[in-house]
Amino acid sequence: MTSPLAIDDDLWSALGDPTRRRMLDLLLAAGAGTATSLSGSLPVTRQAVAKHLVVLERSGLVRVEVSGRERRYRVDDDQLGRAVAQLSAVGSAWDARLNRIKRIAEAIEGEKS
Amino acid sequence: MTPQTLIREVHIEATPEIVFDVVSSPQHLEQWWPDEASFAPDAAGYLRFGDCSQGGKKVGISVVEATPFRLFAFRWTQEIGSVPTAKNSLLVRFELEPSGSGTVLTMVESGFDDRDLDDERVLAEYQDHESGWDHFLGRLPAYAASVVVTR
Repeated sequence: MTSPLAIDDDLWSALGDPTRRRMLDLLLAAGAGTATSLSGSLPVTRQAVAKHLVVLERSGLVRVEVSGRERRYRVDDDQLGRAVAQLSAVGSAWDARLNRIKRIAEAIEGEKS
Repeated sequence: MTPQTLIREVHIEATPEIVFDVVSSPQHLEQWWPDEASFAPDAAGYLRFGDCSQGGKKVGISVVEATPFRLFAFRWTQEIGSVPTAKNSLLVRFELEPSGSGTVLTMVESGFDDRDLDDERVLAEYQDHESGWDHFLGRLPAYAASVVVTR
């Protein structure tokens, strides 16, 4: 059975938000970042960034390193790879469905004639 | 097309009447997709995948537009009974175009990007930005194009 239900809900909803995707962009480009550094590049408050970071951390897309008072975040490459793979899986799921649609419709057409 | 939109096209050697029936009637849906489909054009329903006592799941489906032999559109993945919105569901459009003795069926699934107006503004601000994320998601359309079935 293939359906998007196979997709990790936390991962899916973490990626569903453009601000969070933008944060991943920034983290990928810079290698690492803090809520403060990220909010400097985004039109949202540091508090909002901190909330988004919690969601990203929960989904496993970023990992936190605590040193002293600082919380530095990095993208987890493996989990991001998994997310991309799941997005691709949605595509192949539709390919399989459309092939079945084609087979069924052509079988009906064949019976008719 | 945004990277979060999936487009597929397939040529089917069957009339649009038949293809429309296959993509829109619950009985046919069960042959190519969920284990059980229960909905009507004017009433929301559900799709069941697998055995609910064995980790299977039911999700909502709601027909958005049904124009015989041309277009069938629905929203799905919302919780059963809840009003489908861009926030909680995906939109699937099946477009049918007669082609010779058959039909070209185009499937467009969108809504992976649950943006609101603010987010759109944010996105517009950064759309020129070349980024790691674009690099990753940018593979999707290429992947989509490589698997478009045209026979």
